[in-house]
Amino acid sequence: MTNAGAAAPRGRHATGRLGFLVLALAYALLIALALGSLVADDELSLGRNPLANLAKTAAEFARPSFLDVWFGEPRLEYRSDDGSLLRVEDRRAVEAGYLRQLAHATWITFVIGTLGSLLGALLALPLGLLTARNLGAPRPLALAAKATLDTCRAIHTLVFGLVLVGIVGLGPTAGILAIALHSMGSYGKLFAEAVETLDMQAVDAVRAVGAGPAQVFFNAVWPAVLPQFVSQHLYLWEYNIRDSTVLGLIGAGGLGLLITEATALFQWGRLATLLIVVVLLVSAFDALSRRIRAALL
Amino acid sequence: MKVGAGDTAIELRNVAWTAGGRRLLHVEQLRIAAGERVAIVGANGAGKSTLLRLLAGFTLPASGDIEVLGRRLPLCGAALRGLRTDVGQVLQGLHLVQRLTALDNVLIGALGRIGGWRGWARWHTADDIAEAMAALERVGLAAHAAARVDRLSGGERQKVAIARLLMQRPRLILADEPTAALDPRAAEEICKLLAAAAQGATLVAVVHNPALLPRLAERVIGIREGCIAFDLPLPHVGPEDLAALYRNATEAMAPVVVPELADSCLLGEY
Repeated sequence: MTNAGAAAPRGRHATGRLGFLVLALAYALLIALALGSLVADDELSLGRNPLANLAKTAAEFARPSFLDVWFGEPRLEYRSDDGSLLRVEDRRAVEAGYLRQLAHATWITFVIGTLGSLLGALLALPLGLLTARNLGAPRPLALAAKATLDTCRAIHTLVFGLVLVGIVGLGPTAGILAIALHSMGSYGKLFAEAVETLDMQAVDAVRAVGAGPAQVFFNAVWPAVLPQFVSQHLYLWEYNIRDSTVLGLIGAGGLGLLITEATALFQWGRLATLLIVVVLLVSAFDALSRRIRAALL
Repeated sequence: MKVGAGDTAIELRNVAWTAGGRRLLHVEQLRIAAGERVAIVGANGAGKSTLLRLLAGFTLPASGDIEVLGRRLPLCGAALRGLRTDVGQVLQGLHLVQRLTALDNVLIGALGRIGGWRGWARWHTADDIAEAMAALERVGLAAHAAARVDRLSGGERQKVAIARLLMQRPRLILADEPTAALDPRAAEEICKLLAAAAQGATLVAVVHNPALLPRLAERVIGIREGCIAFDLPLPHVGPEDLAALYRNATEAMAPVVVPELADSCLLGEY
């Protein structure tokens, strides 16, 4: 303990502990600051009567609109104040029509997520390979690729979407490009990590029998990296399908468009139907991709 | 391909290998004839593995001449690949492609002979597959041909490596502690298989366990602190010779940072 050799590691240990304490204090201070600023602006409120509102919303959510297809009023009469019949609506037919619209929107959402993911993966592949440290790409190129990926990851899909709607117009194309650009950042990072954790002993083993570069790539690098790429692709694909359900908010089409409509018209029953579809879509894809990923490992 | 008994398989003259400005290996003169079976012994960090890596062209000497199978190192590109086709390596476990099956790993041994698209599409001819199966049969692993290598035990993996060696049909075999991390029975078995695989080829093996020396070698080279301490026929090697190699080993083993393979960069020239 007293000699000079032991002093250095011990000192480092002490600063490590102190450093953690300082960080923890700084974090606590940050939280206090965040809460304090809300309280100071009197923004930390739940509205006037949250409980009543909660009960009302829950009641409306409890009756998803799709139930009307079977249990709806076949002859819903709209009358004016003096009692004269304005029009008659078949709730069952209306909701059945809505379900057809919903099916199409779900497909569009799936398409946006799927094509956006593929495009993002393809765009990210060269950039990810450039940033993988063990591939030894020229440093300026690697830094440029890393900066591009970081920028893409930092900008939210919705922001990309808003910008792209102004460029390519309303519709699924904007959604596809928005998803591709944002997820490209994540893809690139994951691809680079997959390549960086490559088993170099396997590479050396194949090299040691006199294999050429292409043979080394396809016999050692490819078998190790492909399952990881596929698994990461499935993971981000699933994430992107979830992301694309809200892209309609900005006019990119799909489920998001219906969600915007339903919330704007306070049709909570329809929103409930939509959310059920979203949950089913995402969890079905999740279950599927988990199976495939488990089979790959 | 058969070489005459008098031919030279390996010749080193004044070879020095340095790392971080320190000379870690220095071999003034070493000649290994074709068909010889040589064991290299020495403490950890003495330079045994470095010597093998030099012979396979995985690292370059700071100075000196190395000739392996009649080819003068350093080589690069196709010439280096040509040399490696003739040099089989068995390394300290794990030098297999973990995600491929045992059979696929054995077939990798033939890559040096397979040109064109078959080499990278891993689409092998029936003849190659039959030969690989025969190699697996010889090491007693035919039943595990379709098993992925990362599902096999340490001893089985080393057997796969030896089957790959059989597939490769090398003229020179370099084995770096082929029995490391194996229990005595498995070690014995691996040595037997390795000796059988080395029939008609030159074998240079790094061996730690003196009990395994008779299985693998008729000549023993002791390396101590980067220099050849002795070079004797097996019957002349006494226990005191071996003990001398490890004496003061603790002091000699000042932490040395051995740099990673110079070519750990995938796309670099190797």
